[in-house]
Amino acid sequence: MNGRASVSELAGRMAAVVGARNCFSEGPDLLTYECDGLTHGRTRPDLVVLPGSTEEVAEVVRLARAAGRPIVPRGSGTGLSGGARPVPGSVVVALSRMRRILEVNLEDGWVRVEPGVINLDVTKHVSPAGYYYAPDPSSQSICSIGGNVAFNSGGAHCLKYGFTVNHVLGARVVLHDGKVVDIGGPALDVPGHDLLAALVGSEGMVGIVTEVTLRLLRKPETTRTFFATFPSTDEGGEAVSRIIAAGILPAAIEMMDRLAIVAAKAATGLDWPDVGAALLMDADGPTAEVEDLSERAVKIAREAGALELRLPRSEAERQLMWKGRKSAFAAVGRISPNYMVEDGVIPRSEIASVLREIEGMAKERGLRVANVFHAGDGNLHPLVLYDARETGQEERAEHLGGEILRMCVRRGGSITGEHGVGSEKAAYMADMFGDDDLDTMKRVRAAFDPDCCFNPGKVFPSSRLCGEKPGPGGVEHPAVKSGEVYRW
Amino acid sequence: MVIRERAGKSEDAVQGVVPRLVLEPATVEEATAAVARCASDRLAVVFVGGGTDLGLGARPFRLDAVIRTGALSRLVDHAPADQVVTAEAGMTLAALGEALARQRQRLALDAPLPGRATVGGVVAANAFGPRRTRFGGARDLVLGVSLVRADGVAAKGGGKVVKNVAGFDLPRLMVGSLGTLALLTTVTFRVHPLPETEVTVLFPGLEPDQVRSLAAAWRAAQLEPGSAAAVFSSDRLDLGLRLEGFQAGVDDQVARLLDLGRRSGLPGERLGAAEGAAFWRRHDAVREQGSLRVKIASTPSHLGDLARAWLPPILGELSPAGAVVYPTLGIAFASGEPASGAGLAAGLRAARVAVTAAGGSLVVCEAPPAIRPAFDPWGPPPPSIDLMRALKERFDPERRLASGRFVGGI
Repeated sequence: MNGRASVSELAGRMAAVVGARNCFSEGPDLLTYECDGLTHGRTRPDLVVLPGSTEEVAEVVRLARAAGRPIVPRGSGTGLSGGARPVPGSVVVALSRMRRILEVNLEDGWVRVEPGVINLDVTKHVSPAGYYYAPDPSSQSICSIGGNVAFNSGGAHCLKYGFTVNHVLGARVVLHDGKVVDIGGPALDVPGHDLLAALVGSEGMVGIVTEVTLRLLRKPETTRTFFATFPSTDEGGEAVSRIIAAGILPAAIEMMDRLAIVAAKAATGLDWPDVGAALLMDADGPTAEVEDLSERAVKIAREAGALELRLPRSEAERQLMWKGRKSAFAAVGRISPNYMVEDGVIPRSEIASVLREIEGMAKERGLRVANVFHAGDGNLHPLVLYDARETGQEERAEHLGGEILRMCVRRGGSITGEHGVGSEKAAYMADMFGDDDLDTMKRVRAAFDPDCCFNPGKVFPSSRLCGEKPGPGGVEHPAVKSGEVYRW
Repeated sequence: MVIRERAGKSEDAVQGVVPRLVLEPATVEEATAAVARCASDRLAVVFVGGGTDLGLGARPFRLDAVIRTGALSRLVDHAPADQVVTAEAGMTLAALGEALARQRQRLALDAPLPGRATVGGVVAANAFGPRRTRFGGARDLVLGVSLVRADGVAAKGGGKVVKNVAGFDLPRLMVGSLGTLALLTTVTFRVHPLPETEVTVLFPGLEPDQVRSLAAAWRAAQLEPGSAAAVFSSDRLDLGLRLEGFQAGVDDQVARLLDLGRRSGLPGERLGAAEGAAFWRRHDAVREQGSLRVKIASTPSHLGDLARAWLPPILGELSPAGAVVYPTLGIAFASGEPASGAGLAAGLRAARVAVTAAGGSLVVCEAPPAIRPAFDPWGPPPPSIDLMRALKERFDPERRLASGRFVGGI
């Protein structure tokens, strides 16, 4: 191919594959694809394509590659780290049309779905038979399975049940050259390297998943929930530590600080008291076991200084409590014109002291931080509040967010527990990993996608081109070869 | 830095191939230097922990050196409040278990031969035991690794917290990689509380269909056994279910399981501590003994095929013969002493054809030298073999690590 095809030429070829309605390079629809759930920082793609089948995805990949275009896969666009943010000149491949549930096998406990299927719809599909899909990100009513696979999504209940990676049994993947390959099972322990480990959480950088086989679980017999309030996050954190130390594995154990509680109340109208911290815990499993665990946990919470304990009297009331928690991010919009969601992890036992440190850091910068977090696994979601109309506040907020992540690393934790690195946190990867660590990860990527066709510019802290050759056999990027160098 | 080294002896052999050199690093730094030395001298090397899974995989194409991790056996860090532990790769499961038990915790990875099996080896071989029923396998429990690449470069992946999605998942990629990509030097695991109590319920003498219907019944009743294993007893299955946790919950589940059995006409028995331990010893014997051991991985709905079609041609060639089926995992192991090499190879081939046709795999975990040439230990490579080769090329282009031991000659 001589030089790069023009956008309109490429659009024409793509339209021949996916239909003119499913391919566009201009118009208001393009706006949607300039960013994902991380809305500050937008990049316009040259082209958006919505394939409807594995074969179409493969052809779209071949065409984009032949045209020397980076490919940015996209699910529902709910990601919070800019993982689906396009790069200049890119083709966004959105999988939202591929939303069929293909096959269910309850005895073997799996379901095969297309990547555009919404997380919650998997559970809805098998719920009448008493089964469910465990990973439950807060966005589960809108996020897609393909996106979950790309970001190894977690959720409140991953403390007990694990992340997406623990629930993906197999996948069909379109590779950089348009080849289609099946990896994994339904059967466990397929001989060879655990390629699913390389795929899940790869943030769209190794290929495009077109089918996923997910593990289904039998619903637990009983779920017991309680809501407890504390004077401060010190006592709340202490309660969590003691519950865990007692040998109890909650299905979920969530905490909110004073600001987050205020926000959640404002958004949902819940009659939660004004307190320093609130804890929401689920225990699930066989009834007798759960009742025993729940009683133990309630007793521990009391001993740790709980002000008030509420046990929901109905499923509706339980759902409402969870709604308060799950809507906390958006709720912060009620108390601040703007906010940024962070996603750091610390050793669980350090929660109370970390929260105090965050408070001090925020005060120093004249900002407020609301904290909503998965206390059981030390996954913090500090919400940095700011007012973009005030000069300099946004920069200060961004800076504070970064400082919080670095502090998480200093404490032995991670810069992301579930939102992924994306484009937003690529710069912080170097705080957590050395050059050799990152080079080793790049080798994994290069094994799948030697030319970095897929989702360039994510995860790795460098604006250098893929041609830096991670490991042996690195091939010069076609864009470089053709003299057409992008910065990504 | 002086790394302990010596000439290879017959007991260092990997499937009959004796290395010229044995390196025995005692620290992570020494281990890194040992791999670096193999890199600069272009030595083909196999990493050996407790040697419990050396029978897995093919005979090495080339073998110059063995790096033994046995002296790399320290507990690096145990944070009980965070339920996380980091151990050097050569620490045995038993030693780790002892250290964790002092804080009333455990690693829920109950691979065979815990007194010899090392944490690095267990991860590299994806070894597991009956608790996989509830807690998953190594890939579900590993959080982080330190490793040394073929080029002698040390790197790490994952982290020391239970939740972390930063970067590519090197720890899980190491699971089952059999030393083909890197040497593991430390492994970080998620740990669990030791249960207050455990009880085993035995349903003896079941037909495969009865195991399946019982499994369906306990699933329908929303019971959650922590381990489920059926041990072959002549041509029947003795199904053991282990319940673990706090007393009240365990007692209740035991009672309900027995009730389910009664209603299906399958009387079960709550075993006392000694009888329960005896059942699990029977299970362990199948997993740990025999000069031939094979693993069949399929899906739970194929239990009938496993027990009635796939295992018998193998078991028929073994004496003594044993088999264990994990009904909720769809995985079985057969083991014993082969009567005749030719008959066994034919039995294995017949079983593999059927298992593979049903979407599963049959892998040799241990075999007498006489059988080896007649039977590929891995079977037909999966459709993703080209990706595995590409991965190997990126990590070990000279193919010096566990050369030729892995799937498809990797």
